[in-house]
Amino acid sequence: MTLLSSLCRNYTKFIDGRVYILPTTCVLIQVRESHKLNPVPRLRNPTWLTKKNRVIHDEFLTQENSEFIKEVVRDQRIESDKKLEEKEILTNSIPWARNLKRTGVIAKKIGIYPLWLKNGEKITTTLLQVLDNQVIKYYSPEEYNPQIRRIGKINNKKGCLLIGAETADPTLFTKDYCNIFKETGVIPKKHLARFFVSGEGILPPGTPISAMHFQVGNAVDVRGKTMDRGFQGVMKRHGFSGMPASHGVTKTHRRGGNIGGGGEKARVWPGTKMPGHMGNRYLTIRGLKIWRINTKYNVLWVSGQGIPGETNAIVTVYDTVLPLRRPLEPIPFPTYLMKSDEDFPENIYDKEVHKFSFIIEEWVTDTVNSTKFLIIKYIKLTMFHN
Amino acid sequence: MINIISKYSLSLSTLTRTTNASKLLTNRTKTTAASNIVKKHKQDDNSKNALAEYRLIYPEFLPDPRIDFRNSVREKLERMDMISRRSQIDIPEFYVGCILAVTTSDKHNPAKNHRFVGICIQRSGCGLRANFLLRNVIDNQGVEVLYEMYDPTIIRIEVLRLEKRLDDELLYLRDAPQEYSTFDPNMEIEPHMEGAPVPINTIKVKLKPRPWLERWERKNLKGVEDLGLPERFYKRAGELATPWEKYDLMKQYMKTVPEEEQNQIFAEIQSELQNIEITRKKLKRKRTFLKPSKLA
Repeated sequence: MTLLSSLCRNYTKFIDGRVYILPTTCVLIQVRESHKLNPVPRLRNPTWLTKKNRVIHDEFLTQENSEFIKEVVRDQRIESDKKLEEKEILTNSIPWARNLKRTGVIAKKIGIYPLWLKNGEKITTTLLQVLDNQVIKYYSPEEYNPQIRRIGKINNKKGCLLIGAETADPTLFTKDYCNIFKETGVIPKKHLARFFVSGEGILPPGTPISAMHFQVGNAVDVRGKTMDRGFQGVMKRHGFSGMPASHGVTKTHRRGGNIGGGGEKARVWPGTKMPGHMGNRYLTIRGLKIWRINTKYNVLWVSGQGIPGETNAIVTVYDTVLPLRRPLEPIPFPTYLMKSDEDFPENIYDKEVHKFSFIIEEWVTDTVNSTKFLIIKYIKLTMFHN
Repeated sequence: MINIISKYSLSLSTLTRTTNASKLLTNRTKTTAASNIVKKHKQDDNSKNALAEYRLIYPEFLPDPRIDFRNSVREKLERMDMISRRSQIDIPEFYVGCILAVTTSDKHNPAKNHRFVGICIQRSGCGLRANFLLRNVIDNQGVEVLYEMYDPTIIRIEVLRLEKRLDDELLYLRDAPQEYSTFDPNMEIEPHMEGAPVPINTIKVKLKPRPWLERWERKNLKGVEDLGLPERFYKRAGELATPWEKYDLMKQYMKTVPEEEQNQIFAEIQSELQNIEITRKKLKRKRTFLKPSKLA
């Protein structure tokens, strides 16, 4: 009965406790054991994933007209800035708790250079420039479903914030793309990203997010698209050792070797490392420490040089999910709120980092986390105090 | 027409490169044919020339010319850090071939400082990664130490003898007899007149017989005596040589930072660099005043 009714849902009617099935042609295709299969994932693109760039034709505009368009764009920008200023943007922050999730930011990987620690050690850091991030929209958990549809059940209880970065000329974008920004009044941005936030972490549209969202000493996760390396062999792709160059080895210097055993395992096991396409996929590097922040250019110095993507690539930066590297002290929640009268230094350093404008005085024993180690006792002096 | 050519050759010579080969090339062109033109232009535009000289004195301020590594914000921040380090410690003007003394502080021996004297045989890296390689022979053993220029554990860098050699890298000293890279650790600073041109030491090194660490006959070395190899070595070197590359303008362009950008970079830090130079001169005078009392 239930099978029938579900199959012919549209054509069944319940009247006075009786079932009337309207005459329809109903073709049944039996799929055995179908209840054991996973539901077929249905890819549903998020609403903001529309065609972004317009095809630029020669519009044969007169110079006056093209100037007029520029003027309109300029006016729009001024107007939106004014509106956002007038708008009551979040004024007071909420006390942070460990279970709360903040938004992340869109950043640009701008290069790699070394920093030195006070114990004389050299570390390699990657510089991430936080672009002019602004909140575009909030999607509640009901509105934003994960891509695989499961009716009646929302796995992800967190809503998501759509954040845009790098203001651009709106005439370059399609109408659909510009419509995403229409409600908010923010000028269209080049890059969009969504960040899951807990209910308390919702930010009103138009809220700017700067590098001060993060604090030195805390860890972040960075997600980006790795460099495309094309089709690669096992030595480059999986770090296999290859085989000797001589000693009778013929034609198998860089090959993977055996890929399966005999007997019951006489097949290639799924997941066997083999040659194939390498790179051009998203990768998240977790638990990178922030060593330094430049508040003028909104730059974060994070440890390591393995951040995915080439220089000038766009990455997204999140608070880390690694439980042991989550912050212990309270952090600004939902984000750092800029106050016009506040005065903060241009560079904020982690307490372990050597500042270039200071010089070494002597080595002293320092106690951190109950372990003793030598650090540079250093003082700021005038030029060339030799 | 002649004017255009001469102008062009000048722009080529000023279009300096961080690459050593072209640096040498520019030096040579300056001293020879282009010298007259350069002099004329010097009178015309002094400040521009001052900027052009910075690229030889402070080569590490020029970024890596590879376009996929460039980012203006990163370069600016890096320069700011370099300047703030340079305002605390005197990193003097030096070239490959100079004899330097570097004093570092050692974490494992906090009571003492470590001083190493040697000839600079290589300079590489740019930005905060700039480094130089010093070589000396200590107890009949060749020793090389690689120093990072902006390492905070460096306490003092002294130039004991300021001079240039005929080559951009003196790595061939590793295959030369020890006397060519032996220097007295207690060597005194040799005086150098302020503003005088840096002397070029035209010494020709006689290498030891093969085997060598590298095939020096293929490196087109200037500061080396005849290598005394069989003809086939030179023949092979000739086959592998790429003499046309110096005419490859595109390659030159890709390997170098454009002149306009160089001027922009040095104009930005000019005032800071000048301040540092003034402080250095003041300190120099102080030291020279103190010394005679000790001698007497």
